[in-house]
Amino acid sequence: MLMQEFEALFEEVEFVVIAVVVLLLAYLALEHREIVYSVFFFGFMAASVAGFYLLLEAPFIAGMQIAVYTGGISALIIFGVLLLPRAQGSSLEVLQTPRMRRIGMILSATVMTLSAVLALVFPWSQSFPADRPPIAQDLAGLAAWLWGEHGIYVQLVALMMLTAVIGSVAILKMEKTEKLSPLKDRPGLGSRGKENEGASETKAHDEEHQDAKEAGTQ
Amino acid sequence: MIPLSWYLVVAFVMIGLGAYGMVTKRNLIRILIGAEIMGNGVNIALVAFSLYNPVFSFTGQGLIILVISVTAAHTALALVLMLMYQTRYSTVDLGEPVTVEARKSD
Amino acid sequence: MCRNGVGAYPKPQSIDGWYSSMRLFIDFVPVLVWALLAIALVAIMLLASWVLRPHILQNSDKTSSYECGEEPVGTAAVAFPYSYFLYTVLFVIVDVMGAFLWLLSVSPLRISEVIVWQTFVFVVLIVLGIAFALHMLPQTLLDGKETLRLYRESKAAREQHDSGVQV
Repeated sequence: MLMQEFEALFEEVEFVVIAVVVLLLAYLALEHREIVYSVFFFGFMAASVAGFYLLLEAPFIAGMQIAVYTGGISALIIFGVLLLPRAQGSSLEVLQTPRMRRIGMILSATVMTLSAVLALVFPWSQSFPADRPPIAQDLAGLAAWLWGEHGIYVQLVALMMLTAVIGSVAILKMEKTEKLSPLKDRPGLGSRGKENEGASETKAHDEEHQDAKEAGTQ
Repeated sequence: MIPLSWYLVVAFVMIGLGAYGMVTKRNLIRILIGAEIMGNGVNIALVAFSLYNPVFSFTGQGLIILVISVTAAHTALALVLMLMYQTRYSTVDLGEPVTVEARKSD
Repeated sequence: MCRNGVGAYPKPQSIDGWYSSMRLFIDFVPVLVWALLAIALVAIMLLASWVLRPHILQNSDKTSSYECGEEPVGTAAVAFPYSYFLYTVLFVIVDVMGAFLWLLSVSPLRISEVIVWQTFVFVVLIVLGIAFALHMLPQTLLDGKETLRLYRESKAAREQHDSGVQV
């Protein structure tokens, strides 16, 4: 009995430590003056949230969180900071008006109060977890759920990745963003298509004229 | 056993922090970081709910996997839009183009 | 998590009384120790280099860039080509694809026929996107010229067939 109490206390200590680390890193990620530090704190915060997922007995999601968030999204944002030299100056936050800060505080305080009411007053304690199968079965079961029963969502995720790549290529190659003009250049990296484009455009014109003539005579 | 409300409190505090960051900050990158913090809070809430469930099911974990991958694509596109914002307005400040336009019309 | 006898899950016999192997978090504490060691290693390397460096003032003339005798104005930041950003986006896409495929690889489902075809479609869709970004799709396919040619050929074949039937 003493061992079980010790284990329960240990679990609560782990939870509190991870929660404090996560919230501290999140606050630092938002409030630090330098942007590069802020992005690194965000990367560390994502790794600590993976610790939360381990407490919640989801090992695959913990691994995926570290791989995608810290390894992918954090690197993306750091690359974005590299590409935007104006973002690296730390003087932008000095121009904040106190009105904006007050609105932000009121909004987030409202959100947090309403959800604290939801979290602490609602009788969540009436739902208890059932038996957990061991972890090796968990991964096979999760794969069966995702790829077996709900395989269509995996294909939807593939389509979404396709859309993200094509969209980012298209937006990066736009000449004038306010006019949203179509792509002038061949999509993709580099501009190798420029010599072929003149010839192919005239050919396309001729073919269109031919089609119109055919449609006119019939 | 840790009661569910503890996890929910942490998740909602993170959502509140993310909301505060998105509303208050002027730098575009910080706004994106605020959005990501909000997304992480939502994910924590989802995984907590999937564990504290009277019937055992993989729905929570599978949903989280899909949500994380969709968030990754969404962040990539958000950053590309920021690059275009920088190209058009040559600043990364969110309020600056509005103030410049307003001052021009005075 | 301590179960107070709610279900019929058998408690494993633990060697010493206080270690319970049912909790996932304890299994991952070695990972945490390894991560702390890695951070400590990096910190020690940086500290050692800071100790061994000659100390120069930040704003002295020795550390400023040389501009043929003129005073340097502004930073030396070069405009980074935006197209390099695409590689990072491609990395995130491939990372997500790898996470899905890794989930499949540890399950016994990976050899069932339906799942193999689903995986094929998944990989082909993502590889199509990557091929588009890396310039590997033929331009005629992207412009719609292939479809135009196929349409014209099928229209000619249909007309021939119709005229053959009428005659």
